[in-house]
Amino acid sequence: MNALHIRHLYHRFGPSEVLADVGLDLYAGESLALVGPSGCGKSTLLQIVAGLLRPSRMIMHCDFRGLGCVFQQPSLMPWMTTLDNLALGLKALGVPRAARHRQAAGMAARLGLAVSDLDKYPHELSGGMQSRVSLGRALVLAPDLLLLDEPFSALDVGLRLELYALLREQVEQRRSAVLLITHDLMEAVRLADRILLMVPEPGRLVHEFVLDRPHAERSEAWVHRNTGELMESREVRIAFGLDRGELHNAAPSHGEHRGCQI
Amino acid sequence: MRAWLQRPWRALLAALNYLWSGWGALTSLLLFCAAWELAGQVYGTLILPGPLATLAQLKLLFDDGSALPPLLISARRTLYGLAAALLAGSLLGLLAGRSLTAAMLSRPLVTLLLGMPPIAWLVLAMLWFGMGDATPVFTVFIACFPIVFAAAMQGARTLDNQLHKVALAYRLPPRMLFSDLYLPHVMSYLFPAWVTALGTSWKVVVMAELLSTSDGVGAALAVSRAQLDTATSLAWIVAVLALLLGSEYLLLEPLKRQVERWRVDPNP
Repeated sequence: MNALHIRHLYHRFGPSEVLADVGLDLYAGESLALVGPSGCGKSTLLQIVAGLLRPSRMIMHCDFRGLGCVFQQPSLMPWMTTLDNLALGLKALGVPRAARHRQAAGMAARLGLAVSDLDKYPHELSGGMQSRVSLGRALVLAPDLLLLDEPFSALDVGLRLELYALLREQVEQRRSAVLLITHDLMEAVRLADRILLMVPEPGRLVHEFVLDRPHAERSEAWVHRNTGELMESREVRIAFGLDRGELHNAAPSHGEHRGCQI
Repeated sequence: MRAWLQRPWRALLAALNYLWSGWGALTSLLLFCAAWELAGQVYGTLILPGPLATLAQLKLLFDDGSALPPLLISARRTLYGLAAALLAGSLLGLLAGRSLTAAMLSRPLVTLLLGMPPIAWLVLAMLWFGMGDATPVFTVFIACFPIVFAAAMQGARTLDNQLHKVALAYRLPPRMLFSDLYLPHVMSYLFPAWVTALGTSWKVVVMAELLSTSDGVGAALAVSRAQLDTATSLAWIVAVLALLLGSEYLLLEPLKRQVERWRVDPNP
């Protein structure tokens, strides 16, 4: 089974230690949510996995080949139409023009965009539409690893639920692995199979919550109840500064470290 | 298929829209001509010939074949100086923008160059190059270079970091990084600077020729001034302005609209 393993990840920005001894495992078809207060190094961790940052020290093994990234801002190329923005990753892979436009148009239809929107530039689209295009730009690649950095944080409830459904569909069809950063505990409970809690100074993983109920059986009531329970747990209260206390590094739950492959 | 047809349709609409917006500009120009005609009638044709008299004089100049050669000579000098400035300014500006040190070093120099009056350069050029072609060409180059250089540097420095991250995350190959990220961004800075440089180049070439050469529009203006021939002077001025307006509004502005479609809202 394809997987991503990270052990002993350390990263420094100048004198300050941003990440210390971070380790995690992520398997195909699994969704992992990273939660924690602002500035705890979540985005840095995601950028390291995406290959945008080179960490100070790390052991990483990654079988995933196709990578899709969605950032907090839609970050569409302002000089490209919706269709070309959706097809950006496909173009980078060398997919011929006609084929990539066909795939992008198909994705746009799944995202609920009208045909007339395909020819528009980002400044002509609403914020919600831009977010959809940004997610579509990642999904159209059918990636086996999706890295999401708070992609839903600026959206209204209706649009969020729509995009959650689209994301779940992708995970079930393609067995994609998802690494999701979020501030929103309810979003984490709704989407993730496991939730990893991070704390700052230096950024480290301190606790893992496992949600073993299948996604199809997760009702609104279940999501609300579990979010409430999570909010009341000792680790979350300490991590977000609501209670005083000490948290220690969590060991990755999926088995022991079986030697370094890279 | 419909989406495919929409692109030319929108381009056609934009072109018609652009031409239609020309009526406003034309009205404003005609109002100016009316005021000019009025002033001409008040002061008499010796001081200020009206627009009709000026156009008649210009036609006369074209008919006896004395208009085209000076215009071609001036256009050639403008083109040489401008092309050199656009090329050198764009390339060096982009390179300077890539490095923080180079940008810091060149910023005060650009301010200095922009502040230096072209007439001062002209005096220096006359001392260095004498009374030939090189003097106006050099003056045009040195007047346009800092404008283009500053814009290119600004364009290279202001590339959105977030977009760069997206490009790297989606593994854009180097060729695509250039064509789909750097080029469109930098062009949005360069193009307006090119248009400004074009206007500057025409003004400077006429001034340089007036003082330093024996041919070209500037030299012809000097002759008509010496003969106290106001109508011919105005005819030359109108010819130069017409060339400038023509190249800007019929060539550069539509080109700019095409290149920067993503900036302008077609249905405001």
